[in-house]
Amino acid sequence: MKPYAITGLGLVSPIGVGYDAFRRALGKSPAAAEVFRGQPTVLSQERIPDAVAAEVWGFDAREYLGKKGLRNFDRLTKFLIVSAKQALLDAGLKRDGAHLVPPERLGLCSATAYGSLDVISEMAKVAALEDPRFMNPGKFPNTVINSAAGYVSIWEDLRAPNVTVVDGNCGSLDAVLTAETHLMNDRADAFLIGGGEALSEPLYLAFRKLSLLSEGGRCFRPGHPESEGTRLGEGAAYFALEAAPFARTRGASVRAEVVGYGNVVEPPESEAVLVHGSSRAVSRALQMALSDASLAPEQIDLVVSSAAGVGTFDAPELSGIQAAVGDVPVAAPKAYFGETLGAGGALAMAAGLAWLEGAPVHVQIAGRSLGPLKHVLVLALGYYGNASAVVMRAAN
Amino acid sequence: MTRVFVTGLGVVSSLGFGRDQFWRSITEGATGFSPIEGFDSTDLGREVAGEVKGFVARDFLTAAEARRMGRCSAYSLAAARMAVTDAGLTDQHLAGERTSVIMGTTMGEADVIAELEDAWIHRGPDAIDAQKIPRYGTTLLPIHLARAFGARGMAQTLPAACAAGNYSVAHASDLIRSGRADVVITGASELLQRIQFAGFVRLGAVAPDRCQPFDKNRKGLIVGEGAGVLVLESEAHAVRRHATPLAEVGGYGIACDAHHITRPHPDGEGSYLAMMDAISRTGVTPADIDFVNAHGTGTHHNDRVESQVMHKVFGDRSIPISSMKSMLGHCMGAASALEAVACVMTVQTGVYPPTVSYETPDPECDVNLVANQAGRGPAEVVLNNSLAFGGYDAVVAFARPGRVPAQAPAVQ
Repeated sequence: MKPYAITGLGLVSPIGVGYDAFRRALGKSPAAAEVFRGQPTVLSQERIPDAVAAEVWGFDAREYLGKKGLRNFDRLTKFLIVSAKQALLDAGLKRDGAHLVPPERLGLCSATAYGSLDVISEMAKVAALEDPRFMNPGKFPNTVINSAAGYVSIWEDLRAPNVTVVDGNCGSLDAVLTAETHLMNDRADAFLIGGGEALSEPLYLAFRKLSLLSEGGRCFRPGHPESEGTRLGEGAAYFALEAAPFARTRGASVRAEVVGYGNVVEPPESEAVLVHGSSRAVSRALQMALSDASLAPEQIDLVVSSAAGVGTFDAPELSGIQAAVGDVPVAAPKAYFGETLGAGGALAMAAGLAWLEGAPVHVQIAGRSLGPLKHVLVLALGYYGNASAVVMRAAN
Repeated sequence: MTRVFVTGLGVVSSLGFGRDQFWRSITEGATGFSPIEGFDSTDLGREVAGEVKGFVARDFLTAAEARRMGRCSAYSLAAARMAVTDAGLTDQHLAGERTSVIMGTTMGEADVIAELEDAWIHRGPDAIDAQKIPRYGTTLLPIHLARAFGARGMAQTLPAACAAGNYSVAHASDLIRSGRADVVITGASELLQRIQFAGFVRLGAVAPDRCQPFDKNRKGLIVGEGAGVLVLESEAHAVRRHATPLAEVGGYGIACDAHHITRPHPDGEGSYLAMMDAISRTGVTPADIDFVNAHGTGTHHNDRVESQVMHKVFGDRSIPISSMKSMLGHCMGAASALEAVACVMTVQTGVYPPTVSYETPDPECDVNLVANQAGRGPAEVVLNNSLAFGGYDAVVAFARPGRVPAQAPAVQ
């Protein structure tokens, strides 16, 4: 692919709202961030007792968006709007609320894995325990998976294509391809790409029922064999992506570039299996991304993995990385903010950017010693044999 | 840039399974409306929907497939199998990384989550069957298909609400034009389900028993369900295997109103931009468009705004338009996929589907409607219009193969 410039980003994460806070947190160990600090406020102790998860503690959208117009927004929508606002400002696409690039030329591609689960759950409870006629019509649109991204376009007035992508944990990396396609075909001048996921009771309960969680003293060490489960997190991140000449012409500062993308899905060996992590999918996605970027494996300085602490996924991911790029250093940023599913790829790209910009890597889990970073491969592994990869390059 | 051909069609609908049965019912002006059997809706005051009746998953799926997927995916896979057979494609053609699957939906596996929620709400967390949890992911729709056909390219879900079918076809055509895929199995699938049915009722959008798009006395939409799947192929791939293209995918336009989460822009700004973009990227002018398969939900706002946009795009020309939602209901995510199937059939046959139940002209909807009986006319280039929650506007052009320029100019 042609290189595309990252000219700005915005994010909401358990380790900080805004890239500066996020990057500062990466400067210390994951433990120092103290995000797994007891019962999350969004999970009822009565219904989901003794939960351990990385909430965006103390998040109040009013601090960033003002008090008006938020009534019907769910948590995911608020994460997305805050992230988009920051990214547009950081990229110089908007200033003081005014567009510096016309709204018809600004698009959005947003990923989520389980976007509207909490609202669907809330509606189901009202319908079952009260009466379906009591369902709040103002909140009903939130049951539609793309509504959160739709609200972003409304709030920020973005009128070029608005696309929501669902590809499990891989979606926010897939957003790169959507943006590339629309930018290449002159459907927009700049695209916000990324994704979000909000912690919710049904989501937590599902992971608990599947015994995937590190709770009750079980070890959480993404990418390490002793890890006994994952911890859920939440958040969102958007990057402003634009063709390098357009960014140069408007005088935008380029933080890094996206230069390659790969995606593949591999079936399991057994007909009886549905959930599986595919080592082959990992290596093929990495190889495709490298080929797309016209790079050799030895030119990759760091792989930002999606290792999240569940051995049945971390192990095939690490073996797939090894098969595709050999003894390259591998980092596991989810040690900081947990498994954020649809937001995972975007937050991993944010970590990748921070590391390209010189932040210390405290969560290396494999590979040779780290040297200077020029090319970073960001990886996402899905639960159904899907994997995506994106190559980021440091700004000149 | 390569041409993108449609070479196969598959349908699961309230008007039958497979393109032939579906198209026969559509052109006869049949309606798929019936009392809802899937859940009790009497307390909502609306009891009619375009519900798919008589669908047996095992008629289309293996036992293992039927066990591991919800009904939304089962509709998708059934329609996809029909489309692949229609296209004359074999596993040998489809296996590998050059085949991708892009599917649209609004709520995906809604029956799976409803069952899980029901257990949790009424019987507590211990009653939830953990085995069923992994079947919920919306991401599964294309993954089940990819697995069934051995496709190893991109497998992606585009949840673009009621424009999801057009979004999927559009992005699938991009994958082929950009050289990232040779074949893409694409379309959309949606279930009729109690929560979302109740939501539409609460929005005051559901008519009592029939859907009358563009009629002065229209009372809203009828909720429907189903799946429409199209096989798209690069020209080179289709030629190599001597396939006969049914239609060509022209350009598309996608815009966002950025106005309101459920209502269209009052002047149809995004809809107009999307239509004009689809036309110019097809390499034609509005004068070349023969027919528009309209979004036409039967709601007051949509039909009024869509009529205005027709005038804005086509000027004084009285272009024939029609809404299949009068027969199928609003199949939400699947709607524009089923309409895309019909657009291909219109290109094939020169037959325009009718808008049934049309009685009273509305001065605010002054359009050349194909009213009550199927029409016939030129069908060299047709448009498929869709609008959706989120302010989405998506329009895809379908054309007789070879009719439009291979390399459409980009719009500046």
